[in-house]
This record gives sequence, C-alpha cells and structure tokens, in this order.
Amino acid sequence: MDRRKLDIVMSSVLILVAIIILKNDSLVVGGVESELGAMFLPRVVAGLMIIFSAAIAIGSIRRLFMNAEKDECERLDVDGFSGILLYIGIFVAYWLVVPYVGFLVATPFVMLAIAVLLGGRNWLPIITMSIVAPLVIYYGSLNFLRVFLPAWNLS
Amino acid sequence: MIENILGGFASILAVGPILGIVAGIVIGIIFGAIPGVSAIMAIAIILPMTFYVDPVIGICMLLAVYKAGIYGGSISAVLINTPGAAASFLTAKDGHALTRAGKAGKALDMSLYASISGEALATLVLIFVAAPISMISLQAGPIEKVFLLLFAFTVIGSMAGESIPRGLLSCCLGMLFAMVGMSTITGASRFTFGVPELMAGFTFTPMLLGILVMPEVLNAIRQRRVPHDKLAITRSPVPADNRISWKEYRQSFATILKSSGIGTVIGALPGLGSSTAAFMAYGEAKRTTKKPEEYGKGSIEGIAAAESANNAVCGSSLIPMLTLSIPGDDVAALLMGAFLIHGLTPGPMIFLENTETIYAIFAGFLITDLFLLGIAKSGFKAFVKIASLRRYYIFPCVTVFAFTGAFTAGQNMNDILILISFMVFGYMMRLVGLNPAIFIVGFILTPLLEQNLDQAMAIVGSDYYLLFAKPFSWIFIALSFFFVYSSVKMRRKAKRKIIEEQSPAVEAAC
Repeated sequence: MDRRKLDIVMSSVLILVAIIILKNDSLVVGGVESELGAMFLPRVVAGLMIIFSAAIAIGSIRRLFMNAEKDECERLDVDGFSGILLYIGIFVAYWLVVPYVGFLVATPFVMLAIAVLLGGRNWLPIITMSIVAPLVIYYGSLNFLRVFLPAWNLS
Repeated sequence: MIENILGGFASILAVGPILGIVAGIVIGIIFGAIPGVSAIMAIAIILPMTFYVDPVIGICMLLAVYKAGIYGGSISAVLINTPGAAASFLTAKDGHALTRAGKAGKALDMSLYASISGEALATLVLIFVAAPISMISLQAGPIEKVFLLLFAFTVIGSMAGESIPRGLLSCCLGMLFAMVGMSTITGASRFTFGVPELMAGFTFTPMLLGILVMPEVLNAIRQRRVPHDKLAITRSPVPADNRISWKEYRQSFATILKSSGIGTVIGALPGLGSSTAAFMAYGEAKRTTKKPEEYGKGSIEGIAAAESANNAVCGSSLIPMLTLSIPGDDVAALLMGAFLIHGLTPGPMIFLENTETIYAIFAGFLITDLFLLGIAKSGFKAFVKIASLRRYYIFPCVTVFAFTGAFTAGQNMNDILILISFMVFGYMMRLVGLNPAIFIVGFILTPLLEQNLDQAMAIVGSDYYLLFAKPFSWIFIALSFFFVYSSVKMRRKAKRKIIEEQSPAVEAAC
C-alpha cells in the first residue's frame, strides 16, 4: 500500500476539519467573556494544522507525480490487517456485552478468542489462563483497589 | 537540601514503598524483556493500579517499572537480537554478537552494570540539579511560561517526529483533543456536540492506554504469523565468558562515565530521547576507543556506551518535567500524567508544596538502582523464562489489563469506548507517520498553555508588544528557531548518509 496516497487523504480530512473549526461558531457554547475568547487557541491550532497538513500533502503529491522511489517508512505492509479488524470486533463486542453478562463471564471468552487469533492452540493452559486471570483481576480490583467491575446484570 | 534528601530516605525505607519498588522492578524487567512489549506499555498498564495507593508508593513503583523496563529491553536485544526499543538497537548489535560467541552472560552483565551506573549518575544529577533549576524557573511569570511552552511544543514536535510537519501536526492534534470539553478559563463547552459525557473532556488513562499501549497489541496481532523467538541464554564452558570481571568493568568505566554524561544531557533536553543518547554515546565511544573495529561485532565497551547513555535518560528526562512542567519524552509525559493523577503538579512549585513527597520519590529512584541490581542478578533465569512466554499468553492478558485499567479511571463503560476509539486512532496515527507520544505531550501541556496565555493577555491588555518586552521571550523564540534549524540540518545529514551508504552497494551490484 502506498502511504503517499494515505497522506493525501489524511491531510485533506484534517484541512477540512481545521476549516470547520475556523468557520463554525457553534462549536463553542456558553461561557464568560475573556481576553482571548474560548475559540482563540483552537483556531490558532486549526490554522497550524492547515499549514502542516498542507506541507505533508504537497510533499506526498510531489513524490507521487515524480514517481520517486519510496522511502522505508513510505512502504505500508497491509499483511495481517484482517487480524486487526477481528481484534477490534472482539473488543467492541466485549464492550457491548460486559454491562449485561458481567466481567467474569465475558472476559474468559474474550481472552480465549484473542489467544486463538494469535495462533494459540495449547488448549489446557489457554483455558486455565482465561479463567484464572479474570478471577484474580476481579477480586484484586474489588478488594485492593475498591473498583467494582461490571457484574452479571441479566436478571 | 541534604536534610530533605535524608528525610526522603527515611520515608522510602518502609514496607509499602519497598514492596512497590520490588514489584515495579519485577514487572518492568519482564515487560521490557518481552519482545514487542515496551516499558511505556508496562507503565501505562500499571498506572491505574497505583491510583489507590500513597503517591510515594505509586510513583516509585512506576519509576521502578520505567528503569527496569528500559534495562529489560536489553535482554531481548542481547539474546535474540530483537531490541525492545529503538534505543537498544546498538546493544543488540554488540550483545547478540557476543551471544553467538557463547558469551551471553558477559553481554547481559555489562548491560546491567552499565544501565545501573548510567541511571545512578543521572539520578544524582536529577536530585542535585532539579531543585536549584526550579528556584530559577519560579521567577518565570505567565508571559515567560507561554514562550517556554511554545518552545517545548516546537522542540518536541520538530525533534521527535518522523518529519518536522508530522511531528508538529501530532502535537496540534493533541492540543485540539485537549480542548474538548469545558474550558477552565471561560466555562464554555467546546467541541462537545451536545454530548454531556464530553463536558469533562477525554479521560486521560483510557486515552493514554488506547493511544500508546493498544497499537502495540494491534501490531503484535498483525505480525501473528511471524515465528516466535524463544529467549535462551547461551553458556560458555569457560566461566570467565559468562560474567564481567572487575577488571573489564574498570576498563569500560571511563566509557560508562562519558556515555552517562551524554545521556544525562540529552535526556534533560526535551524531545531528543534515549535513542539519540545511545547513538551519540556509541559514536563518541567508537571515535575515541583504541579498538573501533570491535564495535558492532561484540564490543563490551560498545554495550557499556549504549546502555549507560540509554538508561541515563531515565533520570534526566524528569528534570524538565519537574522543574518546568515540560515532559521531555513519551514516558515523561506519561509520568507527568501519573503525578497529576496523584495530586502532584509537576513544576517548580512541587519542591515547595510537596517537599517530603518529592524527595521520597528521589530517594526511591536512587534505591531502585540497588534493587534492580540485586533482583536482575538473582532472578535472571526466571525473567528470561517468563519473557519467553508465547504472545498468545501475553496479549490476551494485556487486553484485559487495558480494559480494567481504562474502567478503573472512572468506573464507567464510556471510558472503554474512549479506549477503543483511541486504539484505532493511535494505530492510524502510526500508519501515517504521526507520533502518538508527541500527541500526548500536546494533550498534557495545552491546559497549561491556555491558562498562562490568558493570564499573559490579562497582564499586557492591548499592549501586545509587552509580550516581547522581556529577554526570556526572545531567548525562547531564538531557541525554538535554533532547534527547528538544527533538526532540519540533522535530518538532511542523516538522509545524505543513507544515500552515500546505499550508492556503493548499488554500484557494486551493477
């Protein structure tokens, strides 16, 4: 994958965001009058974002048109991205499910899923880890940190 | 000052802080030694667990993780040629060459002794220099602080990023995210889009875990098909090959001292970091040694130079943070967050308001070196064994720790959403060459900038020229330009060097 194209997309998005910050007054609500106003610093930052994004985009466009050889950091290896998407999916599902089934029920499944995703096939130690680690974390958080991790909430 | 230091030792020599330091060292060495897991990841994961203990115990534990994590990185570098951090790259070159020659014990011993010597020296500098500098910086008013912060943004953004625009853009993004929520100056809500949960801004811990820790997990998942390298110590039948003798240490002592000095100075400058220190010290040691041909092929002195400089940065990177409220690198930014969470505001006032606590932390920082030496030497085999665990045991645990850590901050499921969002954002930042560490620095320093800017404007009123009436303003403006200029020069030089190195190879191939 070509990072130069990604640079152009990123820079365009950031420039657009910066223009919205510069032009839109409804991004700030309420507050008292001050010497500079609540939007002074955000607008300065937005202005700088336009400059730096444009610098990145111009450089990338130039190298694209010149067909210049890619630097080491400009080569994007997309192998294994499906794993990342799966991991994010597992994490989102974890976030959605935990409030209902609780930390102790959801976590072993999540740990098992991630271990399998990473190529783990030693079932006994993986299952043991997936059960013991959440138990230790749950009771450690409860008794030592006074953190109440979500509990079963389906009843 | 001596009284304060002695008082610090009295506070630290209790069961709680010592247990915290020991736990921090064990965790730090293990995390640092695991390839693909860095010290910063260990600190970010441990951070939420320290919320509920005394600041002295919590901060000392985090600092112990930091020091031990940096040292731990050299274990994987020496044994399997996989530097945990860029700073261990040179240690890997010489250390792994020694491992291949069956002298892993020698390389690991030198790495440990050099790390501890470098750290101890830098910690002493921190202790004796930080308080006097803070007294000077107390003289700075809001106007000077504004220019100081602008200088910090410029230096960190231009020196630490992949390129100057990318570094500065990362900083701007961090600044922008810091402005989400209710403005502390005007009370106005900015960028909340009617979502009441955003009024308090982004919770620091989940954001930190998301942007700094989780992308490393995503990287490990992406490279899940790369074969696992097991850490193993090669042993030589000749006992002298498995350890460093006093004579060898003494021979390298001058190099250690010089490299520690380089590391201390580089660490005290914001934005340069441990890699720069290691490379500069290694280059200097190679330039002045009688055996430069050995460097890169298993030189004990090479390991001593890289490791002492690399570890000296640990102590000195806290100097700008504690005296000027400027975190010099990503770990310092994280530690600054930890200080704030524990109710300690880094800056010159910390030496007046929290004298006992800060000197106890200093004492803990110094004692950590002794414990690190003892623990690393005695439990070496165990650490190597634990660090050899396969990633399908490590990363599920890291995920759950990150989840728990993010939840702990506010006991709120919305924080998990922040964690997930910033995980994706942090990974995308890395893909496009933006620097998450600079983002964090921008995020942390923006409220300070805004507050001081507002006070400065109240002082000068409509006479804006008064902003530039003090010499400090001009000094910091000049320094900012100087750093940007030298960064441009440094990058051009590095690029030219790469091209020069490549061209003979290409010619030879032709």
